[in-house]
Amino acid sequence: MMTVRGKFWKYLLSLAILMALILLPLYASQYTITTFIRIIYFGFLAVSTGFLIGQGGMVSLTQAAFFGIAGYGIGLLGYERGVPFPLADILSIGIVMIFASIFGLIANRTQKIVFLMITLAFGQVVFAFALQNTTLLHGWAGIRGIRPFVIMGIDFNQTGNFYWAALTLFALGQFFLWRIVNSPFGLMLNGTRENSQRMAALGYPVYWIRVAAFLISAVYASLGGILATYNTGVITPTTMQLSRTIWVLLMVILGGASYFWGPIVGTVVAVWLDVLVSQVTERYNTVIGVIFVLTVLFSPTGILGILETVRKGGGLPFLHKILNRKTAPQ
Amino acid sequence: MDYKFVILILNGLTQAAILFVLGSGLTLAFGLMRVVNLSHGAFYMLGGYIGYSVVIATGNWPLALLAGGLSIALLGFVFERTMLSRVRGGDLPETLLTVALSMIIADQALVYWARNPVTLNVPTYLSPPIKLLGFTYPGFRFVMMGVSIIIALSLWLLLYRTKLGAAVRAGVDDRETVSALGVNIPVIYTAVFVLSAFLGGIAGVLGGSYLQLSPGGDAIILIYSLVVIILGGMGSLGGAVISSLILGQVISFGLAYAPQYSYFLIFIPMAIVLSIRPQGLFGRKL
Amino acid sequence: MSKTVFAVVSTLIAVSMLIAACAPPATPAPATEAPTTTEAPAQPAGEIKIGFISAFTGVFSSFGTMQKEGAVLALEEFNYEVAGKKINVIYEDDQLDNEQAVTKAKKLVEQDQVDILTGLVSGDEGLTVGDYMKDKNIPVIPMYSASEDMTMRAFYPMLVRATWTGAQSQDVFGYWLATEKGFKKIYQIGEDYSFPWNEGGGFVRGFCRGGGEEVTSVWFPPGSTSDFSSMIASIPLDQGYDAVYYNGAGGDAVNFVKQFVELGMLDKITLVGQSNTFEKPDLGSMPKEIVGSLSAHHTTDDLSTPEWIAFRDAFSNRWGHPPSAASEFAYSSMRMILLALEAVNGDVSDKTALVDAMLKVDMTKDPRGPVTLDPKYHSAIENVYIREVALDDSGELYNKGILTVQNVSQFGPYDPELYIAQPPDGNTYPTGKCSELPAEMLQGGGYEYLPFGQ
Repeated sequence: MMTVRGKFWKYLLSLAILMALILLPLYASQYTITTFIRIIYFGFLAVSTGFLIGQGGMVSLTQAAFFGIAGYGIGLLGYERGVPFPLADILSIGIVMIFASIFGLIANRTQKIVFLMITLAFGQVVFAFALQNTTLLHGWAGIRGIRPFVIMGIDFNQTGNFYWAALTLFALGQFFLWRIVNSPFGLMLNGTRENSQRMAALGYPVYWIRVAAFLISAVYASLGGILATYNTGVITPTTMQLSRTIWVLLMVILGGASYFWGPIVGTVVAVWLDVLVSQVTERYNTVIGVIFVLTVLFSPTGILGILETVRKGGGLPFLHKILNRKTAPQ
Repeated sequence: MDYKFVILILNGLTQAAILFVLGSGLTLAFGLMRVVNLSHGAFYMLGGYIGYSVVIATGNWPLALLAGGLSIALLGFVFERTMLSRVRGGDLPETLLTVALSMIIADQALVYWARNPVTLNVPTYLSPPIKLLGFTYPGFRFVMMGVSIIIALSLWLLLYRTKLGAAVRAGVDDRETVSALGVNIPVIYTAVFVLSAFLGGIAGVLGGSYLQLSPGGDAIILIYSLVVIILGGMGSLGGAVISSLILGQVISFGLAYAPQYSYFLIFIPMAIVLSIRPQGLFGRKL
Repeated sequence: MSKTVFAVVSTLIAVSMLIAACAPPATPAPATEAPTTTEAPAQPAGEIKIGFISAFTGVFSSFGTMQKEGAVLALEEFNYEVAGKKINVIYEDDQLDNEQAVTKAKKLVEQDQVDILTGLVSGDEGLTVGDYMKDKNIPVIPMYSASEDMTMRAFYPMLVRATWTGAQSQDVFGYWLATEKGFKKIYQIGEDYSFPWNEGGGFVRGFCRGGGEEVTSVWFPPGSTSDFSSMIASIPLDQGYDAVYYNGAGGDAVNFVKQFVELGMLDKITLVGQSNTFEKPDLGSMPKEIVGSLSAHHTTDDLSTPEWIAFRDAFSNRWGHPPSAASEFAYSSMRMILLALEAVNGDVSDKTALVDAMLKVDMTKDPRGPVTLDPKYHSAIENVYIREVALDDSGELYNKGILTVQNVSQFGPYDPELYIAQPPDGNTYPTGKCSELPAEMLQGGGYEYLPFGQ
């Protein structure tokens, strides 16, 4: 499909982007770097949700809770009890895995809409507990004063350094995710998404595949939570509240859930929109809600879906849909 | 004090009244359409706020109740016809649309009703202090229980004594066959969604009168509604009754004995039922 | 799928980064209903930027609005200008979410590059933002946030709080209830976060020192519980409690008080409140039966000093309703900031000098009473008023002052080192039984209670 010349330009463009991202702290304002750090840690959360939706057809709303639990792990173990650097983070991920196992084993006994509701409820249980427990988790106040460290002489309190660490972590995460998606496991997961009954009939352990996917996504969510907590310095229950969970779902769909890069595209758009919109109005939620409605109605495959269709010469897909009032099942 | 328990039980029944009105519409809509309306909490909140404005303007509470319910019914109708019906067929897009709607409603409510928690003022004729066994209990709570019983009976009559109800019940069981039999399924879908929205708005006026309406309240209410229908079983009206009663008491006693964990406690019955019987107490096997 | 997509994604990222790198530093318009506020194109040399973070949404939103109204009144008195420089205030709503508060603080510091940060309603907002701002070398002026640790255990020199701490007025109140009213046992129902913990802590210390025996506490999560009837039904009426101390505010307080009255408890046991429970805007929603209910604060609605009357009239003319404590505190703090800026001739480059100037501002004619700032801990020494709810001529509820206590510091009658050495107030400390407090904390005197209105 693409000519050799086309490929050359494409690779050049990708390289340019990559260099721009890597060199960001050298030319951009501090607030821009901070915004990109936000994009990265929310990106992890979006990737976590998007992986399950896109690859597994599972809409899970617990990811924000995993994000938060990891943050509390850092706060409780690292900050309050002085557990040193890599150990506190590893333990936090471990704690998330325990929760993810319990939730995953129960929730995956259901599917589709019920799965969504149950994961939503689980996420809110965690939120409610964090909100109300004051002895360990300090309730509404949460934990504050968390700071990143100086590791091997590099001070990660510096925004630039923190950004590079986050970027590297994200790149690694995406790399491993790519391998997973294209592995036999990934294909099995896609199979369960397409037709779980058939997969079961063929002898695949659908339940366990789903549980495994759930656990993998929990790891990504927890990485995001760890970065976020170091960066903002606080962890509070509101990190896991319903509106945050919904926002993440929105980002993923906006970018295009079925595409590998969809979630991060959605995150970039959502976070930058927040920065831009908040300078003009406080009605960010309305703006993004409306965009979301339009996306679901006219381009459920998200931004990347639109771009792909345009690229393939299909014209603007939503125009067709507006003119064609569709009421039949798709 | 002996009467403490009586008060707690009455409180539980009051909670149950609201939970039932909230959950009944939602469970029917889910059972029939396989869509969980995640903007149900926003419907509650908006209905309550509209009722509040009506009370401020006219002082007429029953009017506010009606206004709250009907305005949300209208909203539901418009939403269903213009948006939901376009994406009918896939569960996910419909659910996502309701999610988006909830964000928009919640945000717009901030603009028009400011950000302060508000409570509807109930006229004194509806809230006489009732003296029972040596303590006083606000009469309005009995009004609420009365309203919810009326609604329960009406719904029951609707479902079991009318053609529409029969079609709804059949649709819950088997959509395709009902449609093949010539029943106009889209009309029924719209009707059920509108009914569910109406009930959500009514619940908002009720809840806003005895508690308060506040920004962010829609999230809490949504979770309550979900717990009611998950516990009771999706699609089951009887299940909604039973689970509201159970949860009402859990909330009331929880607030009395463990107020620090009040919000968290309601998930326990849900978690227990889910691990043993994922379809809820009276739900169909999914 | 991937290759096209990858190219597309890359383009998107590139475009967004170009926007980021090339965009001029933004001058965001204050995105609220603020009537005026400058729209000056950024003239960095001739402009002073003040960041204002507050809770304009959520259960305490009435306090956020009041705070802003008070601050704007002060700004308008100065015409948004000091020493020839324009004052640009940037408002941010943190929606009572501590994480949002940090995010907004970051924006104000990194993007808007504010010279001073103020606002802050709730205790935790203050502690969280205060912690973030610790090393930023920008003066932080909390206006209503009252967690004592900001000017005690978590103190740093850039923080100046010209207003109050939770315990400051409650120590006076508790002591008075024990000595003058002879109360021995109190049943406390409180919101479970730092500010009520601090109010409760001060209350217990004063109460026990005055001869009280026990304070039993029940804590509940703020904002998510609106049905207090079960908690109210559980209040034991046969165990000799002299009063119920409701330690909460805002929407929660309105609900609690309403339900307390509806369940007929007002006839059975006395109700007293924390500082904010009976504050004016919420008082209007409460039932009239609560006339006589006591609380203590640093303002009261019927102060009659010329300074208060001038302030109150100016405020009512400007906003159409009378001021509350949150408005006065904001007004007072903003005036302090502006007067300090005047004292340094608008030169904000030396922040330490600016803070020094703030500490030296003469606040003896402050509307709520004479205020002096402690030079070591940067906190306020001021009057405390004990007041009761009363009905005015038009049938509305208001807070009527009964007694005045002068020159109360955040440490009460205690030695600062001794006070700070105690554990911070929480929901398990101080414990309920007065006998369990350390002996040093039970010694020391009380206060001189002057009749109100001199």
